[in-house]
Amino acid sequence: MTAPLALREKLFAGCEEKKNLLAELLAIAGVREAMYLTTCNRVEILAVIDGCEGAERNLCAYPGKVGSLTTPETEKCLYVHREEAAVRHLFRVASSLDSMIMGEAQILGQVKEAYRRALEAHATGAVMNRLLHRAFRTAKRVRTETAIAANPVSVSFAAVELAKKIFGELNGKKVLLIGAGEMAELTATHLLDKGAKDIVIANRTGSQALTLADKFHGRTAVLEDINAELGEADIVISSTGASSYILQADVVKQSQARRKNRMLLLIDIAVPRDIDPAAGELENVYLYNIDNLQDIVDDNMQSRRNEAMKAGVIIEEEVKMFCDWLKGLEAVPTIVSLRAKAEAIVQTEIARAAPWLQSMNEEDQHKVAALIGSIVNKLLHNPVTALKEENIEFESAQLAAVTRQLFQLDE
Amino acid sequence: MNNADFLLFNLAIAFGVLSTAGYLLSLFLKRVALARISTWILLASFALMTVTLLLSVSKEAGLINPGRRDFFLFCAWSVAGIYLALQLKTKTRVLGAFVTPLILLLQIAAAAQQTGTVLVPADMQNSLTLVHLILAVAGEALFALASLAGLIYLIQNSNLKRAKFDSLIRLLPSLNDLERINRICLLWGFSFLTAGLISGVAFAGAAWQAGWYADPKIIWTFGVWVVYGFLLHQRLAIGWRGARMARLSVAAFVVFVITYWLIKICFATIHDFI
Repeated sequence: MTAPLALREKLFAGCEEKKNLLAELLAIAGVREAMYLTTCNRVEILAVIDGCEGAERNLCAYPGKVGSLTTPETEKCLYVHREEAAVRHLFRVASSLDSMIMGEAQILGQVKEAYRRALEAHATGAVMNRLLHRAFRTAKRVRTETAIAANPVSVSFAAVELAKKIFGELNGKKVLLIGAGEMAELTATHLLDKGAKDIVIANRTGSQALTLADKFHGRTAVLEDINAELGEADIVISSTGASSYILQADVVKQSQARRKNRMLLLIDIAVPRDIDPAAGELENVYLYNIDNLQDIVDDNMQSRRNEAMKAGVIIEEEVKMFCDWLKGLEAVPTIVSLRAKAEAIVQTEIARAAPWLQSMNEEDQHKVAALIGSIVNKLLHNPVTALKEENIEFESAQLAAVTRQLFQLDE
Repeated sequence: MNNADFLLFNLAIAFGVLSTAGYLLSLFLKRVALARISTWILLASFALMTVTLLLSVSKEAGLINPGRRDFFLFCAWSVAGIYLALQLKTKTRVLGAFVTPLILLLQIAAAAQQTGTVLVPADMQNSLTLVHLILAVAGEALFALASLAGLIYLIQNSNLKRAKFDSLIRLLPSLNDLERINRICLLWGFSFLTAGLISGVAFAGAAWQAGWYADPKIIWTFGVWVVYGFLLHQRLAIGWRGARMARLSVAAFVVFVITYWLIKICFATIHDFI
């Protein structure tokens, strides 16, 4: 999100072109597991890497290579999260806290898709699999335990929300579009999705009205006829560029008498306004202008931000749980390789001493083997215990790293 | 009244208190889950009231001479039953926050009448007056619900007119649903009251020779019937709807309750036992 659009475009195109991106990521020395996520807003690489520094450096250079960016360009837009911060970042992204429109559901689907891709390419392992499942779980918790996605944050959805509070079900409701602006079209689409039918489009230019009528399976009318059309409609969306009111209050009043006072929703998203504000004072007529709708959206945005605080608590819980698991995991492979190394040394030395060991009788040979085993176990006992236990002075990851270095386990 | 009856009755009231508190809390905290739980509690209260009423009827052959307590309990039972049935049909839980206080009020009125005195004078104890009583009570319970729906309609309407989309507006049902409840309750309430009046008139015509129609309460009831008939006519035939209808049904019920008490206080009528 820190990258300007032009850079994101290059990155996105680079990711799309490359068919073997995951394989290339895994080919970077030190990268054990990897996946990548591309949306219109972000390009992210997730990787589990070994401790060596080269892996991180190479990984950081990789997006620049894919998107053919210069080094300063890459440096400017790159962000790197490590360990706990990386886990937190992924959980926030999956829960849609990091999205442009906070709480939108699309991002979770994109993360799932990215994971599926990585899974199919066998690019994930124990850490990544668990990490992603935890991320999905976190996203689900955030969705169900907070109201982050509850209220609409777009003007067109706010209009639908109002319509539902007036009419209940929108099934069979008739929609009249006056003017064919983009926002009006979008609102009409949402209304139709919710069951409204029978759309009439009145516009100054016939061609655009026809295109829309075709799209919505509706019909067209001329602007002069809107008084008559008003008698039929339940929901009117007006968005013309007219400089004066298209719909006067007394016209609405007359049509209300004709339509037996049924409820009428007027949505005026034009600036300057198309509908006389006095129409909103009539009984059973509900008039909303663009500012009303924008206020609703702003309020909802604010309540989403409040919910995001609650979501933050859930995410911290989940991050802690995952990191605890990860810590346990780090000690185990270190202990295993420590034991394996000791065992290998014992075997090599026994093999080398084979000529004189053979001169002993069988009982003595067993005794020597037991003696060696017991010495090795005694020597390893303390380091293994230290790795297994939580240590106040050192993080277990640090301890594991030190052990690996001291015993040269990575060679 | 024995122990089982006493226990059932008090449990019914306890559940009534709980569901009222739950519904009100759901309204203030804006939590639908609470309202859902409260519905089940109300259902439990309704079931307990049903058993209590059945016990009374079976024990004392009390069908035609209900006690005062059972009369109020029957009022509470009617409102609860009608509301629960409506809830099944319209899924408007928040209405409960307005209905349960009324139910609780009627239950408390019942509890204040624990003496078990027989309600109806001996000369009126027959099945015709029982039908009259049940139908009239059910009709008025429906009017009460119509007016509550009207009240919520007015609240929701003013929210929508002010274009203030807060959590209250989200919690309350849509205008259309509220209007539908109002219409259904008016229609059925009027039908029940009409049938109730006819059975009352039939009894009065047979039992009392003349002069009964000059009774203040009978004139008042006829007045109520005319007012609601007028409302229904305007609603169905003329097309009055929305806020105007909501205001009128609230006003009609308020006038109904006030005049009921005025007549009870100021006049001696042949219905003095209610």
